[in-house]
Amino acid sequence: MNEPNAGTSKTIKGIPASPGIAIGKVVCVDNKRRKVLPRSIQASEIESQLAQFQRARDTIVAELGDMLNYLKTESSAIIETQKQIVIDIEIEKRVSAAIREELLSCDFAVYRTFCDFIERLKESGSELFQQRIIDLENLKDRFIDVICGNEASLEIEAGTILVTKELSPTELVSLHEKGLSGLVMEKGGVTSHAVLIAQSLDIPCVVNAKDAIKRAANEKAVLNGREGILILEPGKNELKVYQTKLRKLKKTQKRLLKNISEPSVSKSGTEFLLAANIEFESEIKFLKKYNAGHIGLLRTEGLLFSNKISYEEQTGFYESVLKGVDGTVTFRLFDVGGDKLNAKLPQEANPFLGWRGIRMLLDEENLLENQLKAILTCAGKNKGRVKILIPMISILEEVRAVKNVVQRIQNELSESGTEIDEHVAIGAMIEVPGAALHAEQLAAELDFMSIGTNDLTQYTLAVDRGNEKISGLYQQQHPSIWKLIKATAEAAHKVNTELAVCGELAGDVLGACGLFGMGIKNLSMIASSIPKVKEELISHTDEEFKQFADICISAATTTQIKEAFEDWRIH
Amino acid sequence: MIKQKITIQNSSGLHARPSAALVKTASRFKADFYIHMYGYRVNGKSILGVMTLAAEHGAELELEFDGADEKEAMKTITELIENKFGFEDE
Repeated sequence: MNEPNAGTSKTIKGIPASPGIAIGKVVCVDNKRRKVLPRSIQASEIESQLAQFQRARDTIVAELGDMLNYLKTESSAIIETQKQIVIDIEIEKRVSAAIREELLSCDFAVYRTFCDFIERLKESGSELFQQRIIDLENLKDRFIDVICGNEASLEIEAGTILVTKELSPTELVSLHEKGLSGLVMEKGGVTSHAVLIAQSLDIPCVVNAKDAIKRAANEKAVLNGREGILILEPGKNELKVYQTKLRKLKKTQKRLLKNISEPSVSKSGTEFLLAANIEFESEIKFLKKYNAGHIGLLRTEGLLFSNKISYEEQTGFYESVLKGVDGTVTFRLFDVGGDKLNAKLPQEANPFLGWRGIRMLLDEENLLENQLKAILTCAGKNKGRVKILIPMISILEEVRAVKNVVQRIQNELSESGTEIDEHVAIGAMIEVPGAALHAEQLAAELDFMSIGTNDLTQYTLAVDRGNEKISGLYQQQHPSIWKLIKATAEAAHKVNTELAVCGELAGDVLGACGLFGMGIKNLSMIASSIPKVKEELISHTDEEFKQFADICISAATTTQIKEAFEDWRIH
Repeated sequence: MIKQKITIQNSSGLHARPSAALVKTASRFKADFYIHMYGYRVNGKSILGVMTLAAEHGAELELEFDGADEKEAMKTITELIENKFGFEDE
């Protein structure tokens, strides 16, 4: 068999920006910036020119709004920023003045205003805005196209690989609708807006491909997003290799999405539950796509950081999250270090071992009471759907203290005539090794427990996960972590307390299999991990999962577990 | 009219996202809001205006508010900047 890169193929190399494979016809577009020459208008045209500007603005804002529906949360901030630029009051002021006072046409007024701002940003010489200057140039062009009715947007056949200088997010989304299969840009960094959107839309993308437009002809080519290469005139064998790869990739994607609507049961028929971890309201709209009916971890710290901790702000946020799903929502109480609360506090020598999580909340009574009051009020309106999760529990007394406060607030609410959920579930994060080893006594006084494998790993292996020098030591799949998980699972089983896992390990395919094997069938993860985890969990029998869990416990090293997993999963 | 001096604490300065957050918050208030920096004066409700300041970490700004709700606006904006726009936490 030939090496994939041998033969007559020409290859254009760039920087990998979005993974995936595309095979298709190349279309090269040397997109040039629009230029507008000054044109005078009559005084009688002022109002119509102003109206034209407003219409163009509304059109672009609406286009950007449409794009939001396509994108993952992290990309939506980009679009929000673009929207703000389009409706910027300084732009409006200057464009209006140019039309009204200088009697200039709307297109030139917009052109000159944007050019002025772009010049000033360039002059500032700040590295911060190099990418944003490209955005501004794109918005300027889009404005001019809309005003001048240049709707000659690029027409492509489905399956096209586009080779171009750079592309605006709006153009990319519109090309995606027409069936764009891959994108190569001569400019653009891996953090450019077009790239983030390509990732969001699963379009393979390569950037920084020098002279690609000149070198690529309109012919069949292969784009390998992971390697960052565009192969022109691929040889027969090479093409075959990529066709097989692409077929496999598509099959997997299709199967994963199909699995989403299948019942969540192992091959032995044992049910499991895959829930989502979320932090922001904007994430809710993606839960349906992954069929996540429950939120296994709602992080609430975002409220603290944005200082939205009044009772009204909290209940507003909690209610909208509860509306977003049909199932239960597990509210984790504010989980931060004390420094986040009060910047004036002296830095602790060991903040991860310091005044944080429930330790801090129990001292800051008002903060804890307000949050509990907000959550418990929502619980009364949504009976059976609210669970409260206490972060950073190390000793049983902390559990008891929180339960006392909960009981007191429930009584107060009840006395004031507010409806309450008497059976609201109270649980604790198991993330301190001591809590894992002492889980039976904790479980006996709790309704549920949730293992936070990120911090559990950090504390068990004594490794700061933010420290790059020791990042190799941060092993969530290490046998010692598995031993603590197993101890917790056995304790929970013994006293019949519900157990879930909400750390990264749950969203990892290997991790999920091991956890299932230890009898933990309630996993919460980033919603986008649900399809791949489900795929694996519906493919094996309970007995097989148990065997794999035994390997996790008895292995000597993490590497050994990983190797064993690859063997195990194909049998 | 009231004024307030403040230092940018984000390590990467007032880049696009903090600028967007600043403008969005400022637009909630009726009071006019201007930012002075090294002799420049820009409209704090204009994202392009704020971006052209290219205020980096440690830049000293003077915030100027004028209008009925100027006190509340100043309090909210000052806190936003001091909290690093809620971005760099964790």
